[in-house]
Amino acid sequence: MHMQPTSSMKEEFLQKWQMGLQIYRPLIDNTSVSERRKAIKLSADVAMASLRRGTTCWSRALIQKTATEDNFLVRQMLSGIKAETLINKKLPKVMCHRKIVRRSKKILRRRKSRSAIEEVAAKARKLVKKKTQGLRNVVPGGEFMSNDVLLIQETLDYIVSLQTQVNVMRSIVDAAEAGSERTAYYLGKLKFAIEDG
Amino acid sequence: MDLSGRFGARSGDGVPFREATALESLHLGGGGEEFRQMVPPENAGGFTALLELPPTQAVELLHSSSSSASQATTLHSLGTLSFPSNPLLMERASRFSVIATENQQNGNVSGETTTTSSVPSNEHIKTEPAETETCDQAAVEKQSNRCGKRKELDKKVKSSTKKKSKSSEENEKLPYVHVRARRGQATDSHSLAERARREKINARMKLLQELVPGCDKIQGTALVLDEIINHVQSLQRQVEMLSMRLASVNPRIDFNLDTILASENGSLMDGSFSEQSYHHRQLQQPPSQQWPFDGLNQPVWGREENQDHGNDHNNLMVGSASLHPNQVKMEL
Repeated sequence: MHMQPTSSMKEEFLQKWQMGLQIYRPLIDNTSVSERRKAIKLSADVAMASLRRGTTCWSRALIQKTATEDNFLVRQMLSGIKAETLINKKLPKVMCHRKIVRRSKKILRRRKSRSAIEEVAAKARKLVKKKTQGLRNVVPGGEFMSNDVLLIQETLDYIVSLQTQVNVMRSIVDAAEAGSERTAYYLGKLKFAIEDG
Repeated sequence: MDLSGRFGARSGDGVPFREATALESLHLGGGGEEFRQMVPPENAGGFTALLELPPTQAVELLHSSSSSASQATTLHSLGTLSFPSNPLLMERASRFSVIATENQQNGNVSGETTTTSSVPSNEHIKTEPAETETCDQAAVEKQSNRCGKRKELDKKVKSSTKKKSKSSEENEKLPYVHVRARRGQATDSHSLAERARREKINARMKLLQELVPGCDKIQGTALVLDEIINHVQSLQRQVEMLSMRLASVNPRIDFNLDTILASENGSLMDGSFSEQSYHHRQLQQPPSQQWPFDGLNQPVWGREENQDHGNDHNNLMVGSASLHPNQVKMEL
């Protein structure tokens, strides 16, 4: 199933990310560091999500989220129909209002005599429920996954994709930083040479 | 209605989920009966194997149940689970049939626990959803061992609140309900579904545990989920960090990944940056692949060396030219 990021995934991610960055190229001169960071991150996110081609819930949610920040980028990066359907699709209107559901469940639940062990079990369940809610908050689109099975499946896929994204980005960043060091080094050398000569 | 030696008409949730609708159709409403029996003929093989009954007899029982509405006996049906304790089941079932004859009029299934002297009165068994095999086995053994207290508590731990609430609604008389009563509920499709769902969740959690480093040692779902959440958050933070780093690097570089790699090529000539070669090998770009950007076509750094020797300075110049156009002009 999903295991470690494969090299083909990494390559595809790199390609798509580059395509996204190219879109920003005309604008680089006028940007600040934070704007550039945002552009980099957004293109990386869309690239990561587009690898899944709309099959997973988290990827669709991530694309929609990014579209709210930069609609143009998303449209350009996802060519064709996919962009339209993904962006224009309404988010599910009926969100499971968990608080309301929980409260009504509490009302319905009859008071029973609680033994110690029952209470422990109930607490354990509550804890697990809290954690799954925490997981929903972290995974994009998690709020719409009322099904626990789906949530865990999506988390699996999301983690693998995140790993791919991180691996490729780290390689590029290391190369870029080393490159800039090197360039600075050579520029310094040049300068030195010129001044001397 | 001679119920001796016959097994019950109702039962419940042992059958596979897809049988659930068939089960529904066989439901016998009647006299406070709370279970329905589900041994559809095509499944008779599975059940009867468990019960060690001849198939015909089981089918007969099944169909006879439709005529005998007030049967109190239930089949301890656990169709989806294998039963090593078949003999126990038989013994138990036979006991139930005895009980049933005595308690025919008693619509309450837990009559098994109340009236007969063969069953000690202190055998209180909570109805619990059979969510795991061990649960079911414990249930069977429990009944046969007549010392349900401890095991019932174990089962309690494993049950869900949903099931509990249902059981409390179902049992009018006793605080403790027999396990089978619980499973024989009209909600057996629910319990089936719940069990299947739980198994799915557990399987996927195992996968997650393998994926997230350091999770296999942890016991308990809540802690594992904690680890998973932390891992996801750390990955997200790394992405933020990396994009910040890339943005802080000279502007021209971030948006021209090809120049990064081109200039990197130059740096590798010196052989002093082993890290980059490692990272680029991570990318593992196959040589045959066509890249939109020439600079990316660096399959193996070693191979490019010869070609780029002459271009070494050019590349650097290109890199720096894109870096600081003004600065380079000044230099030159």
